[in-house]
Amino acid sequence: MTLPSPYATVTDDSQLTGYPVVVPGAGPFGGDEEIEEPLVTGGKKYAQVDQDICLHTEQFPTRRWWIAFAIALSLLGLLVFSLINLFYVGVGVVGTNSPVGWGTFIVNFVFWIGIGHAGTLISAVLFLFRQKWRTGINRAAEAMTLFAVACAGLFPLLHLGRIWFAYWLVPYPNDRGSLWINFNSALAWDIFAISTYGLVSLTFWYVGLLPDLATVRDRATHPWRRKLYHLMSFGWNGSNRAWRHYELAYLLLAAFATPLVFSVHTIVSFDFATSVMPGWHTTIFPPYFVVGAIFSGFAMVITLMSVMRGVFNLKNYITINHMEAMAKVLLLTSMIVGFAYATEFFMAWYSGSEWEGFLFRNRAFGPYSWAFFTMFTCNALVPLLFWFKKIRRNPWALFIIAALVNVGMWFERYVIVITSMTRDFLPSSWGIFEMTFFDWSILLGSFGLFFTLFLLFVRMLPAIAMSEVKGVMDPKVARGED
Amino acid sequence: MTYPTSEKGVLGHFMTPDDALTAAEKVRDSQYSHFDFLTPFPVHGMDDAMGLKRSWVPLATIALVVAGIAAAQALMNYVMVYDWPMNFGGKPFWAWPSFIPITFELMVLFGAIGTAIVAVWAGKRDTIPQPPAMSIKTGATVDRFVVWIAATDPKFDSDEVVQFVESLGAAGVELVDGKEESNAQ
Repeated sequence: MTLPSPYATVTDDSQLTGYPVVVPGAGPFGGDEEIEEPLVTGGKKYAQVDQDICLHTEQFPTRRWWIAFAIALSLLGLLVFSLINLFYVGVGVVGTNSPVGWGTFIVNFVFWIGIGHAGTLISAVLFLFRQKWRTGINRAAEAMTLFAVACAGLFPLLHLGRIWFAYWLVPYPNDRGSLWINFNSALAWDIFAISTYGLVSLTFWYVGLLPDLATVRDRATHPWRRKLYHLMSFGWNGSNRAWRHYELAYLLLAAFATPLVFSVHTIVSFDFATSVMPGWHTTIFPPYFVVGAIFSGFAMVITLMSVMRGVFNLKNYITINHMEAMAKVLLLTSMIVGFAYATEFFMAWYSGSEWEGFLFRNRAFGPYSWAFFTMFTCNALVPLLFWFKKIRRNPWALFIIAALVNVGMWFERYVIVITSMTRDFLPSSWGIFEMTFFDWSILLGSFGLFFTLFLLFVRMLPAIAMSEVKGVMDPKVARGED
Repeated sequence: MTYPTSEKGVLGHFMTPDDALTAAEKVRDSQYSHFDFLTPFPVHGMDDAMGLKRSWVPLATIALVVAGIAAAQALMNYVMVYDWPMNFGGKPFWAWPSFIPITFELMVLFGAIGTAIVAVWAGKRDTIPQPPAMSIKTGATVDRFVVWIAATDPKFDSDEVVQFVESLGAAGVELVDGKEESNAQ
């Protein structure tokens, strides 16, 4: 018995409802059968998938790409200029000073590493949970992870003050003693966590790319291009004897990456939690940071996917259903983040600690209350709009709310770092933190670095995992043609 | 199992994964063993249909994980306990709980990167040899599900194999001789 496929007739987002398709009488005992809506719309064939996705790597970039690239590159130039100034003049050019020794470098570091968490989370956790909608977005999300980690990795090095001694962070036998790093320190754990995360994410991303690089190679017309992609794909040919090992290895990588995602931001939160500062020294920090990271990362994925849908015309592959699924994750994590904010206040009161109590009153109603309320509104209130299905399925609403969440999550780290440090135990050592031009320019410049890398990525490599998308298509619709 | 290089063989292609699965079961039960299926994406059930066992890659992963743990523990114990013990607030030199995060990270690092390298190498090693650039010609990375029976198979006979592949219901069957082709160019 062959069922009529409800997939063939769905041409674009307007025909997707977010609910399953009901086929009357198709169930095993004569009842109705519910079939999930297709993940790829437009009645695409397997060959069309390659055509649509590889197109952007094969043709001269569009005007829109050049405009976006020019903006990103200018911001990257701003970063380079700011860093040259920073190295030449010294860290005095930024606002970091006594009592705020951890200024925007640490704020930006935690912000970017948080964004870097969604890519591997989408790939690994959703893979383990067999969420098929991940196939449309995992490649770009993983690339986002890599570039966000690259941005994040920059800031601890800047924070060192003497970046030319950055190699001292690595434990190696040296002629200073040997003078080793202190493995009891959360900061030393951080070096291992971030570098492991970067390398494992790179591996995971690249392993996923192998079959698609072979597809790009087989489409290539220029012999050099073919040779280059052949080398990059390690001569992949689609043999099932290779798929057999590949699939199990991919599963194992996902199994490694999942606890890794949680461990990395846990260790980042240890940088704070193992100190004695009020507002930092709490056991809620690891889960609070991990959820915040997933939250901000998904917001950035929604931002990037909105752009990819529009600029690269990939609406058949990243459908509104994909966007709605991400909005649901954003809603869930937003509520957990909001709950964490409330818990912090509750514990500040319930602990009876004078310092904690003061810190949280000061955080909400002190000189940085504007930052606190920006954070609270953007992170805990605005995403509640996603309770409405109409808003979850509105591309513009998604884009704006995701952008607000990005702002809110930057302010979350700002609030955590700055409010604790400006007013600690001794009122005589209180101070105020002001961001200088270079604080802003380095933050903006890091966005330049991020978007430059991302735009180059969508230009050079297939931005959607073609081999995985083909695997979730309906063969009745997508079958090969002679 | 490794196979000698072959430039010669027979290939046929199918248009849907289901057709390829049915064909794979027939090839598995036939007299030929030097055969392979090339697919644009991993086809569920293809391993069983081809008679392939579960990949041994996880065994390598276990070894790599143990190596990662050992490397991390060796480094930290050497540094913190043996080479340069330092007193931090009267805490023991052998502060094993604070060695756990780095042990975990290095375990993941060794395990993940090693697994990827081993899996890619194992895939290359197990692939039935084919003429270079066969996937371009067949579309096996695009939309076709290709069966390939190599001439290295002891029971290989061009006409018989062509007939056999036709009997599988392949959409197109072709006898390939890579050497002849490279001479012709």
